[in-house]
Amino acid sequence: MVRVLKPVELIVVASEKGRVTVKYPYQEPLVTSDFRGAIRIDASKCIGCGACVKACPPNALELLESPERLVIRYFVGRCIFCWRCVDVCPVKAVVGTREFELATDRVEDLFNYTVHRRAECRECGSGFATRRMVEYVTEKSAVSEYYANECPECRKAKILNAVARRRGGV
Amino acid sequence: MSESVKRSIWVYHLNTGGCNACDIEVLDALTPWFDAERFGVKLVPSPRQADVLLLTGPVTIEALPKVVNAIEAMPRPRYIVALGSCGVGGGIWHDTYSTIGGVRELLKILEARGVKVDGVYYVPGCPVRPESILYAIALFKGLVEKKVKSEVAYSD
Ligand code: SF4
Ligand code: SF4
Repeated sequence: MVRVLKPVELIVVASEKGRVTVKYPYQEPLVTSDFRGAIRIDASKCIGCGACVKACPPNALELLESPERLVIRYFVGRCIFCWRCVDVCPVKAVVGTREFELATDRVEDLFNYTVHRRAECRECGSGFATRRMVEYVTEKSAVSEYYANECPECRKAKILNAVARRRGGV
Repeated sequence: MSESVKRSIWVYHLNTGGCNACDIEVLDALTPWFDAERFGVKLVPSPRQADVLLLTGPVTIEALPKVVNAIEAMPRPRYIVALGSCGVGGGIWHDTYSTIGGVRELLKILEARGVKVDGVYYVPGCPVRPESILYAIALFKGLVEKKVKSEVAYSD
């Protein structure tokens, strides 16, 4: 038989147990090591390849492109903290943090931008990819130096011309 | 914000089509362990009694008319606290056919209908931690400082 405690007895039990309520926000929150919070992109490492943008399920990371700039926009308000971007980044520029105190009254606070400059084509001068990406590729494979400074359009035209010359005119 | 809501904040919790994870965390925040009632938070059963609408979910098109009705029924000053990735930015549903994609789109619809909202709080998280909810309440009451800010970083 379960005995039902009388209110007086309950008070005794409760005072023995003491207070369980946490004092947060006036104390440190409980954050375990496998907790995933917001991510941070280290702009000094990022090469602007867009792998994280492709991997992000809710498009919290987006590429904003213009002829001069390439911007990776991170909208924390849409992030689901899956850390797929952390896994896919080839240069380990994305780091996961344990930050979760992200509440704000202005939605603009939730946008972070990483701005890249475009690489300039050796032939036509137009912008393509990013400077950092071209540097990264050249570093990885020296032979790519011969064509890495050209935009895809010029590269295409060059190959077509070369083929045409071989055949003695198109 | 705490200027216009000096008394306890009465909260109407409205799920607009979310997966329920944020709602469970809301319940968690109300348990004796986290105890949101420390800050005077009280869940009320009707939007007519509420100061704050606790909005979870990406606002499905099915729920939209009811959400607008609920917000219209709230007395001024009225505030919206959008919880979770869905509530704030539509989450993984932000571009699907059956949702409008979170509170930002909802605010545009409300503005077009002439429904005024006195303030919106955005609380990211998927789901939001109970501590995040407590932090948002403390921010609402002016007890803690805002921590996030927009950053623009240049690669060179
Ligand atoms: S953690 Fe997941 S949702 Fe958030 S930015 Fe990275 S890939 Fe996108
Ligand atoms: S995957 Fe890494 S290097 Fe590529 S754009 Fe994202 S952060 Fe930058």
